[in-house]
Amino acid sequence: MSDALLDIENLVVRFGAVQAVSDVTFEVRKSETLGLVGESGCGKSSTARAVMQLPRPTSGEVRLAGQNLVALKGSDLRQLRPKIQMIFQDPISSLNPRRTVLDIVSAPLEVVGKGSKAERKQIVHDMLEAVGLDPDLAMGRRPHEFSGGQCQRISIARALVLEPEVLICDEPVSALDVSVQAQILNLLQDMKERYGLTILFISHDLAVVKNISDRVAVMYLGKICEVAPSELLYKKPAHPYTVALLSAVPVPDPTAELKKVALIAGDLPSPTSPPSGCRFRTRCPYAQAKCAEDEPPLVELAPNHQVACHFPLIDN
Amino acid sequence: MTDGRTAAEEPYVLQVENLETRFSTEHGWLRAVDNVSFNLPKGKTIGVVGESGSGKSVLSRTIMGLLPSNARVNDDAKVIFEGKDLRQMSEAELRHIRGPEIAMVFQDPMSSLNPVMKIGKQIAESQIVHLGLSKKDARNNAIELLREVGIPLPEKRVDEYPHQLSGGMRQRVAIAIALACQPKLLIADEPTTALDVTVQAEILDLLQREQQDRHMTMILITHDLGVVAGRTDYVGVMYAGQIVEQADTKDLFQNMRMRYTEALLNSIPRLEDEPHKRLETVGGRPPDLVSPPPGCRFAPRCQYADEKCTEDEPPFGVGAGLTGHSFACWHPIQPAGGTR
Repeated sequence: MSDALLDIENLVVRFGAVQAVSDVTFEVRKSETLGLVGESGCGKSSTARAVMQLPRPTSGEVRLAGQNLVALKGSDLRQLRPKIQMIFQDPISSLNPRRTVLDIVSAPLEVVGKGSKAERKQIVHDMLEAVGLDPDLAMGRRPHEFSGGQCQRISIARALVLEPEVLICDEPVSALDVSVQAQILNLLQDMKERYGLTILFISHDLAVVKNISDRVAVMYLGKICEVAPSELLYKKPAHPYTVALLSAVPVPDPTAELKKVALIAGDLPSPTSPPSGCRFRTRCPYAQAKCAEDEPPLVELAPNHQVACHFPLIDN
Repeated sequence: MTDGRTAAEEPYVLQVENLETRFSTEHGWLRAVDNVSFNLPKGKTIGVVGESGSGKSVLSRTIMGLLPSNARVNDDAKVIFEGKDLRQMSEAELRHIRGPEIAMVFQDPMSSLNPVMKIGKQIAESQIVHLGLSKKDARNNAIELLREVGIPLPEKRVDEYPHQLSGGMRQRVAIAIALACQPKLLIADEPTTALDVTVQAEILDLLQREQQDRHMTMILITHDLGVVAGRTDYVGVMYAGQIVEQADTKDLFQNMRMRYTEALLNSIPRLEDEPHKRLETVGGRPPDLVSPPPGCRFAPRCQYADEKCTEDEPPFGVGAGLTGHSFACWHPIQPAGGTR
């Protein structure tokens, strides 16, 4: 665990009766991209926000380079905040429509009191250039004058202007067309290399996650069910839920056999009363009696490959 | 979408001819749909693919006659549905077409459902109005429809409101509403774009099953070539208001001719690719439709474009040796055969 930049241990997030995140433990290693995949309502965004301490988790630890953010308060936490930045799903609603791009991107610098006004403008100028916008054209304009993809570039510029160590991306391409999605994914990869970022990338689309991630964690109803390097997860998925997610990705080839979703149809069970034992058992085609009784722990199946299942699919 | 045949030879459910839809804006007339023609044979599914702003949704709304007041459609345009020109119909006549004959499923099920009306009533409404069913029969039909679209406990769900359902379930309800009067043509406008991939697969399976069981004709509008791949008979690719390539789905993917279609396909991340593989992107942005560039509209973004492309507009026509495969390009990809 020595190379972990971000250590999340026994994280619990509760909103009233709803336990959105139930005892989740994982690490994000320095300079890697960890993909966090799951359906709507599985707790992936709540996990991301708990890492940001917005709001703080109900219990558990979030350690950034060994320092537990949950225990920090006031100015101590504020000093660390520039190190973790976040971008969101809807780029248009996450930008203030009444402010210019210059105001938006320089706001984080003002908050931490960095540089003079002229210096800040120069930093913003360089940052906009880095994310592929023409600074002289963009700085004086307001968000509504840009397309969704360009707004996401502005969001990325705002997140990176403080030179964070960790960038959390919460479904950053879900609202975009495939052609624009490709541009943003390439940009994030470039930014990661250029600024040495560590990325926690959240999405419901395994094909997108595989493209950007070094490792992938699959989440279901507030729990992690499988963690593996992205190539391995695709080649040897061990959790039935991972297999179902993989089979749901549309293949742009009409000659490919349409793989039917191997799920028992239905929605995610309510997180207010999750199923006993394994939480996935109500939709799992392989569920047996044991699955209703004991909760499967997340165990190492092979080096670097963890799975939480009583009957992992090890043959495929 | 097939060309070169007359209605007498094959029963077309829908024939669109020379359709142009323009919007009046403060900068001038915006040509959202420009000279679009196609024919839909009965019982087939057609995919319409394009980026945001390519005109695919405006096309479907023009067919339905659901345009805002600042829109104008050219007088010589024809939208012939089962032999009748919808463009010549009055609003009152159209009201008997929308719903019972042509139904639509929209992208966002939350905003297309009425939040203060029970879902059973929303499904029953059109059956009472158009089919003259009694309230009781319509309610029973609604329960059956909910069961058919895969909603568990339909007897209970029928009395719930949209906010009590998940996004996927709401889209199933929207599909049930669309199917309520047994339409002949179903237009699904980005029906899964707002949904998770697992739910997307389920909804697409459902649409495909209903289309086959009911021998409906379907137009599936999407920005994702992956969605149309295994689920449509024909595909039309739209760019800047025009259909730039159309073919039998298998033929389109195997013998792609347009550089734009290829670029769209290559921008999709694929599961079988190595992590961190650089995705191909189309540089630039779609053109301004108030004053589109002369020549080919894709030329400013196309790496193969030359002088001819920026001067003359390529005609949309059938390529040599490929029956029914039409495209508009001066320098098309040479058909090599094989996939991809």
